Amino acid sequence: MKRYSIGFPHMQKELGEKRAFLPDFIQFLTRFADVYLAEGYGDRMGFSFSDYRQGNPHIFQMERKDTFSKEYVIIFRAPSEEEICWMPPGSCLISMLHFPTRPQRVALLKERKLQAISLDSIVDDNNIRLVENMRAVAWNGLEVAFDVLERQLGGLEKENGEPVQALVLGVGMVGKHAVEAVTKFGSVERNNNHMKKNGNGSVACCVGRNIAANPNHMEKLLKQADILVDATQRRDSSKPVIPNEWLAWLPSHAVIVDLAVDPYLLNANPPTVRGIEGIPQGNLDKYIFNPDDPEWDLTVPSSIPSANRRTTVSCYSWPGIHPEACMNHYGHQMRPLMEALFAKGFKQISLNGGYFERALARAKLPD
Amino acid sequence: MAKKISFGFPKMHLEEGERRDFLPELMGVLSDLGADIYLEHGYGDGMGFSERDYLSAAPKTNFVSNEETYQQDFVVVLRYPGDEKVEKMRSGSCLISMLHYPTRPQRTAYLKKLGIEAISLDSLKDDVGRRIVENLRAVGWNGLEVAFQLLQKIYPEPGLENPHRLPIKVTVMGAGAVGMFAIQAAIRYGDEDTWRRMAKIGATGVQVTAVDYDLTNHPEIMKQILKYTDILVDATQRRDTSIPVIPNEWVGLMRSHAVIVDLSVDPYDCSASPICVKGIEGIPQGNLDQYIFTPGDPIYASLPEGIHRQNQRHVVSCYSWPGIHPKDCMVIYGRQLSPILRALIENNGVKNIQAEGHFFHRAIHRALLSSWH
Repeated sequence: MKRYSIGFPHMQKELGEKRAFLPDFIQFLTRFADVYLAEGYGDRMGFSFSDYRQGNPHIFQMERKDTFSKEYVIIFRAPSEEEICWMPPGSCLISMLHFPTRPQRVALLKERKLQAISLDSIVDDNNIRLVENMRAVAWNGLEVAFDVLERQLGGLEKENGEPVQALVLGVGMVGKHAVEAVTKFGSVERNNNHMKKNGNGSVACCVGRNIAANPNHMEKLLKQADILVDATQRRDSSKPVIPNEWLAWLPSHAVIVDLAVDPYLLNANPPTVRGIEGIPQGNLDKYIFNPDDPEWDLTVPSSIPSANRRTTVSCYSWPGIHPEACMNHYGHQMRPLMEALFAKGFKQISLNGGYFERALARAKLPD
Repeated sequence: MAKKISFGFPKMHLEEGERRDFLPELMGVLSDLGADIYLEHGYGDGMGFSERDYLSAAPKTNFVSNEETYQQDFVVVLRYPGDEKVEKMRSGSCLISMLHYPTRPQRTAYLKKLGIEAISLDSLKDDVGRRIVENLRAVGWNGLEVAFQLLQKIYPEPGLENPHRLPIKVTVMGAGAVGMFAIQAAIRYGDEDTWRRMAKIGATGVQVTAVDYDLTNHPEIMKQILKYTDILVDATQRRDTSIPVIPNEWVGLMRSHAVIVDLSVDPYDCSASPICVKGIEGIPQGNLDQYIFTPGDPIYASLPEGIHRQNQRHVVSCYSWPGIHPKDCMVIYGRQLSPILRALIENNGVKNIQAEGHFFHRAIHRALLSSWH
């Protein structure tokens, strides 16, 4: 059986981006390939090259740029355009490439005659994504939100004896997990402690577009909300779901949780604005913004109304808050896909193959 | 040359409304893989499929008696067929069905005693613990679809489709896998077309409140929520099934037009120790023959003694919610099951399935009766 070569460059994003595939996954791949890790791969999670190598003669380390020269390159978040240009024609990039919303990236990959598999496009016969961690998006976001709320309230009990109220906008995949996370205070451990003390619990109230568009109903709901969660998937991203002036209805201690992480793209046509108007966008370096935060305006364009502010938690990569658990999860999801891929190689992957081969075929760079 | 593997597909022979059978598409896959297929006479006819439909997908399909389907190497039947049917299976053959090992210890012990191997469909899980064969979405959506259809008929003036009515308030108890789908379905009236129609006429939407066990144990707060609930959904997974989440007395607080949706379908079992009661006290258990119950329905009289039932509201309850739309359901199950059966055929049966093998080997191994302790 042919042995392939796979390069693993680490992600060069914000400092807080610590994620790298775990040693178990790398060891597993040596069944099919020689694996080349960038120097320092995994060290932000505390792994050394020895942890990866474990005496395995098929694991090597090299300069980061050189890992892009291998037949396959696996990197979780998409590399930059410059990095893509380091790849030789015919090699294959495996990453979260978001083909439908990144036409320029698709064009570049084609121009460079590269092959690619987008992890976010791998779906099964029932159109269910096979590499995803929506649960971590919701749970990690709510974990941070309840940490903040607990600090703001000096505990999780409200003076009026009512349960903590969270208003969840959107009930897609992320929203559904957010509801579960709300009802458990974003942490099973915190929930268990709360229950031992016979606390008053938490309630998730969910609304879709048919109510979110009505200011009268929303005023009532927002006035009661201790936590406001944006888990919307808007059809029209040029309009916010919650205009900034509505945020004034929220109690002053309220926490806004941004799970949708749509960016501000005012120069796009049509422009994209955030679902909750005037909130900043965070990343793994900084995901908590207090109303008086001097960095609030760094990601909020001046033309966007932002006078009404509440503490906001926002992170472009919520699963990365707990990097090891996240990569353990992704590694498990990717194993059978890698088995199918390396059994035949990229060029032979087709919609007529087995279950995982078909899923991979759907995620190939579109013609 | 390896012996061809045979698959028997008996009909379920449960309530009349249980019309589900695997579709011709799945038989086509098995046939292409070289398996022998034995379908019970009349297989699929409840969903409008004829023998010709199956033969055009899998030309060598055999149509046999119910008993003969149980004589094959593998017997595939969605719901457990009962001890009497299983006794007809050959020792060493394999039953593929929803067997629920954790909650059916007597069944599990009996199958082992008969020397039968089994693969429990509800135990087929991937490496991160997600079920491979499941249709929890249909549980949530079908239950809410029926609930809203009923609410439409009984909702007081000005009527559900009047744009000036108040928002519909749905309370979902339990935020696990089923509860999450129930929330999504509730927001969309249990049906995407209805949702769009309501939006078009400018009707005020649906507001869903989700609560879990740390709140349902606070009577004063729950009573307050119930007073303003139009639809109450039980999607709980209780640790202690001997105590209801909502005592019957609280049901009396709900609006007279309120609809109770039973998605948990825990049974009443007074022979168990401790006894098992439903999450909402005093509601009936439905099945595919009858899943809508109005107050005063004769079924209330048949609830076990000692169960309070004086407070009654409209109830929708079905032991097999996905079966409401049988064809849609079996499309999903067939696609989910197909790679499992492929792995069994390609490896010449269960004996070559390895715990450390490929993805589907690992999944099958976890679901084997012989792996269950």
